[in-house]
Amino acid sequence: MKIGILVLLALVRAAPVLAQTPVVGSWREQVRRLRGAHAATAPIVKAPHRLALPRSVASASTALAEQEPNNTAATADSAALGDQASGVLDPAGDVDFWFLDLTAGEFLSVDVDANEAGSPLDPAIALFAPDGVTQIVTNDDFDGLDSRISHRITTSGRYYVAIKGFGNQGGPEDSYAINFGTVTCGTVGTEQEPNDGPGTATPIAIGDSGSGEICARDANPLGDVDYWAFTAQAGTTIELDVDAEELGVLSDPFLAAYASNGITRLAFNDDEDGRDSRLQFSIITTGTYYAAVSTIADPGGNPFPYSLHVRLTAQGPGDPITVRADSLGFPLGLAVGSNGDVFVGDVTGSRVARVSTQGAVTTFAAGIQSPLGLAFDAFGNLLVASVDGAVYRVTPQGQATPFITDAGIPFWIAVAPDGRIWLTDVSDRSLRRYSPTGQFETRFDAGSIGGFGPGPLAIGPSGEPYFSNGTEIWKLVNGQPQRVFGNAFVIWAFAFDVAGNIYAPAPAVGRLTLFDPAGTALADPFAVGPDAPQAVAFGRDGTGATVARLFATDSRVGRLVEVNPAGVEHAGYPVGFVPPPFSLDVAVASLLGAGGLSAADVQYLDALGNHNGRYDVGDLRAYLTLVGDLPEAAGAATPRRAGRNP
Amino acid sequence: MRRVCMLFALAVLFFGVACADDSTGTGGPPQAGTLILRLTTPHADDGAVLFELSGPPIDSVVAVSASLRLFMRRASDSTIVAAVVGDIADGAVVTLRVPDVGAAAGYTARVLDVADRQNALRASLTGYALTVVP
Repeated sequence: MKIGILVLLALVRAAPVLAQTPVVGSWREQVRRLRGAHAATAPIVKAPHRLALPRSVASASTALAEQEPNNTAATADSAALGDQASGVLDPAGDVDFWFLDLTAGEFLSVDVDANEAGSPLDPAIALFAPDGVTQIVTNDDFDGLDSRISHRITTSGRYYVAIKGFGNQGGPEDSYAINFGTVTCGTVGTEQEPNDGPGTATPIAIGDSGSGEICARDANPLGDVDYWAFTAQAGTTIELDVDAEELGVLSDPFLAAYASNGITRLAFNDDEDGRDSRLQFSIITTGTYYAAVSTIADPGGNPFPYSLHVRLTAQGPGDPITVRADSLGFPLGLAVGSNGDVFVGDVTGSRVARVSTQGAVTTFAAGIQSPLGLAFDAFGNLLVASVDGAVYRVTPQGQATPFITDAGIPFWIAVAPDGRIWLTDVSDRSLRRYSPTGQFETRFDAGSIGGFGPGPLAIGPSGEPYFSNGTEIWKLVNGQPQRVFGNAFVIWAFAFDVAGNIYAPAPAVGRLTLFDPAGTALADPFAVGPDAPQAVAFGRDGTGATVARLFATDSRVGRLVEVNPAGVEHAGYPVGFVPPPFSLDVAVASLLGAGGLSAADVQYLDALGNHNGRYDVGDLRAYLTLVGDLPEAAGAATPRRAGRNP
Repeated sequence: MRRVCMLFALAVLFFGVACADDSTGTGGPPQAGTLILRLTTPHADDGAVLFELSGPPIDSVVAVSASLRLFMRRASDSTIVAAVVGDIADGAVVTLRVPDVGAAAGYTARVLDVADRQNALRASLTGYALTVVP
């Protein structure tokens, strides 16, 4: 399951794992630069173009020198706030302890300068409680390879700081300087402190950039929050983009957008670009909106500088969007029932929610851990792939039972017109095909497609399964993966219209793109209203026919949205099982020698059954199961009349 | 003695004829009733059987159980082609309503195809047989 979640997150975010790459310079230099710059007009200098100011640790005139042995709390060297101390971690495995007497309420800062000053040392530091044993906080690589700890002291007493080389590194050249002080929060960049709420937000215009510092100036457990206010026009889409880690400091900013009342959170993001955050959202009503920058990773920890960019995003024919339902947790997969209700998998809520055509949200099925792909089977049951390794079958009454259990990590799922079930298995990077009643038929290896996946899956107009590997769409032709096209951004759970065009969500950049069947972009963006669209599906009318309405799950903000139907040129390609154009009587008569089936019908029935090249009694049995005319004791499924689902 | 022997011979003839009437029906009026079509199978997971039944007239054919689905077509006056689908077991499969139960031995039945409960066709029909019994 952990693997599945990791794969999922990797696919959703499409961002490489953050590399702990050493960078040159210090966070203070960034602060200094920001203080002297009006970021609204001057661009932030990005890493690695940071200015290093080489300093010699040994030349620090105010440095206290360590006195060995000081390898334990009991033999720690003394220091006080305001001191700079120095030492050498020699030999390998050496640990230097320092102690300070601190008072409750002080905001301790312990900042090591070593690597940035030319030492080969990669230091790591830890703060210990007055018992000398309990470790309160540690840090490695805050400032390039150098370390820093910021911590609010809650109980007066003697505290201990230990410094050692990462990986027990040590040697005669591994010198360091360690600065003991208190964290001071000043006004940095263009922010205007106090700006901890919407009432004191710093104004910023769309198209401009601002800069500031997240610094926990008080004991607020949420840490510092910087609010920015801007005015936006209805019908536009705004992008908010925060850079902090990109400035070269180990930091993890969090970003949220608030409505005009300053309370209603419209969108939020963490870690869109590495640890940096970015989001976009559509403006429904002209007014003042707020961007709030903070950190949830270490709100009482090390201060860090950031820059905020507020941009207007160009819209597409699918804008503006309409929110059909919200408070859906983390919606990912979706499927549309034959009466037009939309079924949404809520990953965090471990449920499937049903959104009626009137917008009413109810829980359709509960207890399905992290539902991923959704599709209706030929009998009207909803199939739900779960990270627990099973595909669940949910009856129209909402009863969920494990259905397919022999796949490793079933990820996405689709039902072909012949009723067969296709799923992608991320555990072994394969596609698996099952009969309409859930019997495993065959497996197709897709490891050769590269990238992630195979991930999201859809049946194309040719009847072949199409699937994404992250940034490319592939299809299965004669059992072999064949690349269709690629894109710069991650392509998530796409859908076909009747013209064969592909509507593809790109969650990482918050947009939908419309491609023609060959992969040429017809509209890019097609829509930018969704914050992080994950999956799209066409609506259906009361007869079950697909229509020119397109829905999308918008995961980060927990909502189901519909794009502007005026921009949807074609109806959706029908999904799922398509009842064959002949009656049971004809199928039976043909088997018994009276004829009546076309060659195509015979081929269909053979494919439905045992696909041995002819129509036989096994195929009739499969058809009876499919259309619900086999007595229940004999059927593997609980059949319903074909073609109808909730 | 000769008279006794004669009576015995008559008795033998009488009872012998009576016995022949009971076993073959020949010589008496046809008696309508039901016959059973029994399947002999080497497998325990048959899911569908296609068969052909020929012989004397048959009024109707019904499955022996509601859990079986039966489809049939009269290919000719003397031949029925039928398929029975469901969880089929060794033993009675269908019931035949016939105008003359005494003609049971005149029916012949032949298995044409068998599929298992996963819809796969049996590669061999060895060991399968159908018999019509009273």
